[in-house]
Amino acid sequence: MAQLRISGGTVHDPINGIDGEVRDICIDGGRIVADLPAGAPRLDATGMVVMPGGVDMHSHVAGSSVNLARRLLPEEREPVPAPALVDGRLARSGSGGTLPSTFTTGYRYAGLGYTTVFDAAVAPLTARLAHAELDDTPIVDAGLFVLMGNDDYLLRLIHRGERTQAQDYVAWLLGAAGGYAPKIVNPGGIERWKRGARDRTGLDTPVASPRVTPRAILETIVGAGQALNLPHAAHIHCNDLGAAGNVATTLDSFKAVAGRRAHFTHLQFHAYAAAADGTRRSAAREIAEYVNGHPEVSGDVGQVMFGAATTLTADSPVEYLLYKSSGRKWVNVDVELETGCGIVPLHYKEQAAVSALQWVVGLELFLLSSDPWRMVLSTDHPNGGSFLAYPELIRLLMDRTYRDDRLKAVNQKLLEGSALADGLGREYTLNEIAIVTRAGPARLLGLAGKGHLGVGADADVTVYQRDADVSRMFATPRYVVKGGVVVVEEGQLRRAPSGHRLHVKPASDPALERDLSAYFERYSTVSFANYPIGALADAQQPGRGR
Amino acid sequence: MAGVVAPSSATTIPHATCLGCGCACDDIEVAVSDGRIAGARRACALGASWFGDGHVPGVARVDGSDRPVDDALAAAAHALAGARRPLIYLAPGLSCEAQRAAVALADRLHAAIDSVSSATVLPSILAAQERGRAGATLGELRNRADVVVYWAVDPGVSYPRFRERYADLAGPPPQAAAGTRTVLAVDVGGAHGPPDAGHRFTVAPGDEVAVLTATAALLTGAPGSEAVAAGAAAAPAGGQACGAGTAPTSVWRQAEALVAVMRAGAYVAVVADSEPSDDRDPGRASALVSLSQALNAATRGALVSLRAGGNRSGADSVLTSQTGYPLAVDFTHGSPRYRPHDGEARARLLSGAVDRALVVGDAALVPAAVAAALAAVPVVTIGPRASEAPLGSRDGIVVDAGQAGVHEAGTALRMDDVPLPLRALVPGPPGVASLLRAILARVEAASHGTAVAAGGGVAR
Repeated sequence: MAQLRISGGTVHDPINGIDGEVRDICIDGGRIVADLPAGAPRLDATGMVVMPGGVDMHSHVAGSSVNLARRLLPEEREPVPAPALVDGRLARSGSGGTLPSTFTTGYRYAGLGYTTVFDAAVAPLTARLAHAELDDTPIVDAGLFVLMGNDDYLLRLIHRGERTQAQDYVAWLLGAAGGYAPKIVNPGGIERWKRGARDRTGLDTPVASPRVTPRAILETIVGAGQALNLPHAAHIHCNDLGAAGNVATTLDSFKAVAGRRAHFTHLQFHAYAAAADGTRRSAAREIAEYVNGHPEVSGDVGQVMFGAATTLTADSPVEYLLYKSSGRKWVNVDVELETGCGIVPLHYKEQAAVSALQWVVGLELFLLSSDPWRMVLSTDHPNGGSFLAYPELIRLLMDRTYRDDRLKAVNQKLLEGSALADGLGREYTLNEIAIVTRAGPARLLGLAGKGHLGVGADADVTVYQRDADVSRMFATPRYVVKGGVVVVEEGQLRRAPSGHRLHVKPASDPALERDLSAYFERYSTVSFANYPIGALADAQQPGRGR
Repeated sequence: MAGVVAPSSATTIPHATCLGCGCACDDIEVAVSDGRIAGARRACALGASWFGDGHVPGVARVDGSDRPVDDALAAAAHALAGARRPLIYLAPGLSCEAQRAAVALADRLHAAIDSVSSATVLPSILAAQERGRAGATLGELRNRADVVVYWAVDPGVSYPRFRERYADLAGPPPQAAAGTRTVLAVDVGGAHGPPDAGHRFTVAPGDEVAVLTATAALLTGAPGSEAVAAGAAAAPAGGQACGAGTAPTSVWRQAEALVAVMRAGAYVAVVADSEPSDDRDPGRASALVSLSQALNAATRGALVSLRAGGNRSGADSVLTSQTGYPLAVDFTHGSPRYRPHDGEARARLLSGAVDRALVVGDAALVPAAVAAALAAVPVVTIGPRASEAPLGSRDGIVVDAGQAGVHEAGTALRMDDVPLPLRALVPGPPGVASLLRAILARVEAASHGTAVAAGGGVAR
């Protein structure tokens, strides 16, 4: 692989403590190296901003639920021509919208300067499909999180108090699905919805038996992730998403796993107080304060951006409520023994009181969090908005004047007591942006080779042209290098190498498989032998976290 | 359990997946002897015939003359690259990998691409795009549903093992709230539910959509027959949709009786066939979706849509992931457009908008109306036994391929979109996926002015 010296740029590499220093970045064999011979090819980045490639730790880009959502919305798609590649690879056309087709997804992430993406919710039963779609999502290195917070077999183990077997099962399931991290969505709440429950699932609501509660599910999976020394121990979508007053459940969930490493996702959707009249209010302050004071906890925001979105989640009971309240079209798929899937298209409007509140709560989480390493950027694409809205979000974080102007334009009805309405003045620096968009997510994911530009790191580099309008600056990087290959040149996508798959395969006790195969015999419609996805075509196990 | 090696080169391959129908049973034990399939344990009659003996011809032909495979692929690449308005047609019998290669080729050629779904399940697909759906994977039917409604279908006919594997366990469903299962057959005209159902309703074909709509309305809280009988002006829209000759009150009474059974269930599965039949109301697919969604207002429920064999839902899935649309995709302008109404294969062929077609998969399963429309154009046919049933005008190209799941490994989707592995069980000709990749490599090479070595890209 070619050598390349990116010279003269202003480097923001927070993991290595570099905040805006002019220096060269040298690349050889797909990795960052200390230096290169004088004659090595050079890319002049003088006057430009150089960062590691972006890392999206929570997105929905592949798999059967994403594909059902694509299929549901032909009316929102626009045709996207194939890029003009110069690397001899077949350039693929596609379609856009809130859920772009596979190839277009890869091209667009790379065009935005993102080089690593995780799909946050894949049912192991359909993991084969998710991997096939990731194979068709070029350039980005990708991984997936495996849904297990409503897994029938796991709930049975919890009921029987079999902690060790539960840990083995978590390990086995990650390997069987080719996954990267355990994902918990509305622990127990999806199974309860399948059983017909309509009430809210609290942390101590019995699920299948009094011993199986969301609390027990959280403790079990987070404990397993910890014991297995997974690079990303557990990725948690709490109970009670979207509901007024859900901040209590979220704080309870934090406390349930206190002292253990756990990542809580799209916290914006879980940070609402309830006013006396039952409407939502911001509880971003309580969430931010807890996270600020507990270094083992991390989160991503799940910012809502105004415009079209598609809500798409394993949290199917929430989607049913959205369907009833919005009157939009609705998909529900109950996935046997594992999870659910719900889809409702949505439009966040500045003049809609709830949309405005959600927009404000997300920004407050960013602005009230004292440690950007542990409160990173996401829109929960495409739930809060498309990943294409990240540059606009970055502008909202960096430019108070712009933010205040936008704030004036939104519905104020539910903003009483909001910190943002009270005048939060913080502006993110470029270094903080580098943290919340690459260094922070990479560290939280335990990706030693990502999110930084130190010697030995993957040569994933994004070079931005400075611009007074930072949303334009971040929307159109001048150069993007992925694994040492210059994929974006002068703002144009020119090369589209295949990305690598990031996954783990922790060891599990083979004895588990005896019980598991008997369980499959009784309950599963898929043969035990056909359930694991087998070897991945391009498998890379991540390095251990730094 | 590993494959058991028996004496005299006989082997048993366990857990093979059958694509004889959409059930995609993956518990078949295939006995292989001397490179031939000697038996398929647990397979139904459809499955046994689908596996066959593992022998397929390996002929390649250009304009009626036998030629080496490489020559035929070169001729196919040349013909397709030279076509002004090519059409790629995905017949049943393709692995997802072959489907992906076919979409890549269509994109490269700026072709139109369509699948058998347009001619068979278009109403279901459009209804799901219009309204969404409430569905489930088959295991929810198997383990959880305590009320199963067979709507105008007896799966025993076209999906022989459906009930054994997914619906009728001995004993109560293990995850059901109640310890029993109620089976209800709804007979619509000549389309009957299973003969052994515990409950039975008969609906006149002209009333089918009205009864479905009224049932959905009642489940979401609309007033029923008494309100209609009383002449209430507030009857929901479904009340006006009754078929000729049946009084509205009768439709509402039928709906009320159905609702009484459904409401008693904690999880209701409505099983309906989405494959075509002759006399079906075009509004039926949409009414079934509405019913499945309405079930979730009163209890929990899902629509289970039966699909025929050969990885048909795989084509919908692959087209959607790569283009955004499940069928009738037009790359003519260099990027995908969705044309389900005027651009599906048959309409395109009949309007003269195709000058060369590529049919991949099992050509014998191309619907008769599409096969007839193909007769006027030169066709490249690539699939198992393509040489036995060539399509199109006489000047065609034919390449026999291996059969996905018999000679070619890969992936296929069950009717509920659950992916399953396909295994290569016996030796045979190259599969469609590798043949399509070879054609694509030749098309690319020709456009870049480079040569492809003989056998370029063909691998098994």
